Amino acid sequence: MDFSILVDYFDMYWDGFVVTLKISLIALIASFIIGAIVAVMRITPFAPLRWIGTAYVEFFRNIPLLIIAFFFYFGTPALGLEFSGFTAGTIALTIYTSAFIGEAIRSGILAVPKGQMEAARSSGLNYIQTMRIIILPQAIKIVIPPIGNQFINLVKNSSILALIAGTELMYQADLISAKTYVVFDVYIFVAVFYLIITIPLSLGVGYLEKRLANSN
Amino acid sequence: MISFGHVNKYYGDFHVLKDIDLTIKTGEVVVIIGPSGSGKSTLLRCINRLETITDGSLTVKDVHLNDKKTDINKVRRKIGMVFQHFNLYPHKTVLENIMLAPINALGISKEEAKKTAEFYLDKVGIPDKATSFPSQLSGGQQQRVAIARGLAMKPEIMLFDEPTSALDPEMVGEVLDVMKALAEEGMTMVVVTHEMGFAKEVGDRIVFIDQGKILEEAAPVEFFENPKEERAQVFLSRILNH
Repeated sequence: MDFSILVDYFDMYWDGFVVTLKISLIALIASFIIGAIVAVMRITPFAPLRWIGTAYVEFFRNIPLLIIAFFFYFGTPALGLEFSGFTAGTIALTIYTSAFIGEAIRSGILAVPKGQMEAARSSGLNYIQTMRIIILPQAIKIVIPPIGNQFINLVKNSSILALIAGTELMYQADLISAKTYVVFDVYIFVAVFYLIITIPLSLGVGYLEKRLANSN
Repeated sequence: MISFGHVNKYYGDFHVLKDIDLTIKTGEVVVIIGPSGSGKSTLLRCINRLETITDGSLTVKDVHLNDKKTDINKVRRKIGMVFQHFNLYPHKTVLENIMLAPINALGISKEEAKKTAEFYLDKVGIPDKATSFPSQLSGGQQQRVAIARGLAMKPEIMLFDEPTSALDPEMVGEVLDVMKALAEEGMTMVVVTHEMGFAKEVGDRIVFIDQGKILEEAAPVEFFENPKEERAQVFLSRILNH
C-alpha cells in the first residue's frame, strides 16, 4: 500500500470529501422533504394528486440514477438551463432518492392505526393538520430503519456523479489515478473516505431507532 | 339536535342502514343497542361523517351533513367522539392529547388550552396523569383521557362507540361513572354499548337495531321490561339471562 499517494494528493481527496459531504447533506434533507410530500400525495383521497405521486415514484425509482444525472447535466442546456456537475448531480440524486424515501414513508403512514386519523379528524382537525401533527410523526418513527438505508445508499450513489464532473470523491480519485497510474491504492483510500461518512450515519440511525423505540 | 330522515347506506351491495328515521333532542341520552354487525356503530359514525350516507337526509343542528357545501370540520368541532380503542395519540402526553384540538382546530391559546385540559382531566378524576404518555395508563384511565379530550372542545354532542368494550371488567365502572356524570349535566349523548345496566339507568331512550333497521324505540323501563319486537326479546333474553 502506497501511503505517499494519500499524503501527496490529500488536498484532492479532501476537496472531494467535502463535496461528497455537501452533496449528501443537501440531497438528504431535500429528498426527505420531497419524499414526505410524495408519500402524502400517494395516499390522499384526492385522486389526481394520487396519480401524480404514483407516476413520480414509479418513473424515478425505475430508471438508473445515471440517466437522471445525464438529463440534468447534458439535457438541460437544450432547455436553456445550464447546471454545473455539482448542481445537476445534487438535483438528480435528490429526485432519485426521494422516490424511494417516499415509498418508505408511505408504508409507514399506512402502518399507523386507522383510529388515529379518525380521532384527529373527528375532533375537527383538517386533513393536512392531521397528517402533520398526528400521522407523520408516528410514521417517521416506523420508517427510520428503511430511511437510514436510503441515506447510506444516497452517499454511495453520489459516486456516480464522477461521470458528470461532480467534483466529489470519486471524481477526484479518477483524477489522482490518471496522474499516478495507480489504481488499487487510490480507490482503497477513497473507500475509506466513504466509510468515514457512512459508518457514523449507520450508527446514528441505529441510535435514533433505539431512542425512539424507548420513548414509547 | 340530530335528525335522520329516511337514511340509507350501502357498502357496495351490502345494505348497512335501512331507512333510518331518528330524531335526538338536545340534552337527550340515546342508547343504541343491537347484535354485532347490526349497524349500530355505522349509524353513530354517520353523525360526524366518519361514514357518509348513501341517501336520505341527516342534519346536525340543522346543518345537512351530506351537503357538499357543509364545512365538516366546523360541524365536528361541536361533536366529541369516544372510541372503543381510545385512539389516544401515543406520541403526545395526556395533557397534549387534550390540548391538541382546542389549539389547532379552535385556535385557542396554549395557556388557555392548558387550563381547560387540566380542568377536564380533574373532572375525569386523573389530574396526576397530566405528563404521562398514554402507554403508561390503564385502559380505564386512557378512556377517561379520551373523554376529557372530547370535552375540551366544549362540544354540544358526545358520541360514544362501545366505550367500555375493550376494557378489563374492573375498569368498566370508572368510565361509566364519568359518562353518567356527563349525562346528569345535560350533555346530549348518543351511546353504542352492551352495558345494559348503564342503558337502563342513564338512557332516556333505547334504540334497538338489527340488520340495519331500527326495530324498536322506547323508554328504558318499557324496553327492558316489555320489549315489543320478538327480535328484541330474543336479544335481551340472551344477554341478560346468564
